[in-house]
Amino acid sequence: MFELTAAPLQPEALRQRLARPDAGALVVFEGRVRNHHLGRPVTKLEYEAFDDLARLEGEAIAGETEELYPGTTVLCVHRTGSLAIGDIAVWIGVASPHRQAGFAACRHVIEEIKRRLPVWKKEHHPDGAAEWVNCTVEAAPADRGYYDRQVALPEIGAAGQVRLAAARVLVVGAGGLGCPAALYLAGAGIGRLTLVDDGRVELSNLHRQVLFTPAEVGAPKAAAAAARLRLHNPHIQVAARPVGLTAANARALVAGHDAVLDCTDNFAARFVVHDACRALDVPLVSAAVHRFEGTLEVFRRGGAGGCLHCQWPGRTAAELDRPDATAPGADGRCAGAAVFGPAVGVLGVMQAAETLKLLLGLDAAAAAQTRLVNLLDGSVVPIARPPRPGCPACAGLDELRTDRPARPDTPVLVEPAAVASLGPAARTVFLIEPGEAPAADAGALAVPAQDLARLRELADAGPLVLSCRHGIRSVALARLLRAEGAAAVYALGDGSVHG
Amino acid sequence: MSAPRPLHVRFFAVLREQAGCAAVELDSAAPTPAALYAELRRRHALTFPAELLKVAVNERYADMDTPLAAGDRVVFIPPVAGG
Repeated sequence: MFELTAAPLQPEALRQRLARPDAGALVVFEGRVRNHHLGRPVTKLEYEAFDDLARLEGEAIAGETEELYPGTTVLCVHRTGSLAIGDIAVWIGVASPHRQAGFAACRHVIEEIKRRLPVWKKEHHPDGAAEWVNCTVEAAPADRGYYDRQVALPEIGAAGQVRLAAARVLVVGAGGLGCPAALYLAGAGIGRLTLVDDGRVELSNLHRQVLFTPAEVGAPKAAAAAARLRLHNPHIQVAARPVGLTAANARALVAGHDAVLDCTDNFAARFVVHDACRALDVPLVSAAVHRFEGTLEVFRRGGAGGCLHCQWPGRTAAELDRPDATAPGADGRCAGAAVFGPAVGVLGVMQAAETLKLLLGLDAAAAAQTRLVNLLDGSVVPIARPPRPGCPACAGLDELRTDRPARPDTPVLVEPAAVASLGPAARTVFLIEPGEAPAADAGALAVPAQDLARLRELADAGPLVLSCRHGIRSVALARLLRAEGAAAVYALGDGSVHG
Repeated sequence: MSAPRPLHVRFFAVLREQAGCAAVELDSAAPTPAALYAELRRRHALTFPAELLKVAVNERYADMDTPLAAGDRVVFIPPVAGG
């Protein structure tokens, strides 16, 4: 909750409003009027607010913070009018079950207030002079000194720093690769960073996803990562897009960027982001990690190297994501897979380095190579990656399956009661494993999960609803078929039907 | 450029002091907030640089090149200093 008031703040009364029997922590921040600013004595402050927008924005900040730190309750009150030295200008209280989230949420609120709330303060000095804070010319270059040590590199210099400040970079995936990549890009002063991720932070992410702490478990990844990056470098703009990248929205997300980092964990997403970048002629810096090893690649249209399709002629994302593997957690995605933390760290930082080199015009060999990085034996092996003669993707994008007219996104999951609304042509398919008997629902067609050719035929014929024993593979396969361009593929939402 | 239509502008902080008033009702053909600010700069002798401003249209943050419609409420927002 957020309030704006011209009356003096009463901290005792405000604390009482946050009483919650389940809250083991109450973290309070008081912003007070101090008697100096930038070396000049200050006698009083006047606060002025754009009331309507300040209330909306303040409520938005409180709501976003409660979303970012699940379980917290936020109360924030901001003063307007004339304040004396020592008066409380802003009071922020956060009640939460545990202290970690409370401290983090309180910090987040004040940082967002300073950044976004349409409130201004005028400082009065003993000599009678007065000025609006942040509105004087000398306040503008606040980043002075931040980049000194990289500007000192002859390869970067002041001109290179200006190029980085003008750059717009998209990071797809805020996980093991995206966290370290984005951290170094933010530190380098990329003017506008956008993070795309529709996931939430899990405890098992923390050993490698270095932008998150236990306080963020349960938080939306893109927003949590963006908040952390703004603390790291307050002089850049960081935007969060809490959406999944799909064939339908990829081009809209990629458009307008100077470089894109593929920090995703599956081939379905990899092909979609690659094809969008290629279609829009945006350089792509891609990495992938398996256990202790990873690959690093730079894709540029018209460059010396081949494209992603050159490497995997005739193979689809679904095949490469190996939905037919039967090992635990091997539904093709690495969400549950084993991974050495430093491997994604090194590869993510290498992605940041290649991106900076691209923007600065320092890249040479990267765009024609695949680099194999092995953290167990410490090797980095460059492999030449020439274009493959006859590659349909390099010849013309129109032949790509993912390059179809954009359709509006519809949710992958469909509830049993809603299947009828998909029309009379809709087929329901029960995915079976090798050796598994067709189960339960007599009305459903049983198809082996690895029979992709059959599933594609069914997807081409009309709306297709996938169902399986645990409700995991059906979702993964529905997403893969959609990524290939089949729009009307769904997964049955109620796993208990066949459980 | 479209025909002039009524727009409501409010000023805060440094802009209010430079303009000498808190609000202006005017008929303007300015297609975007960027063009409107250029017009207001001439009219009110504002010196604050446009590149340091944000803008809100109808109490929402917007882009400086958002198309403006008749009756829109436009607020130019100098760098904020809450807290």
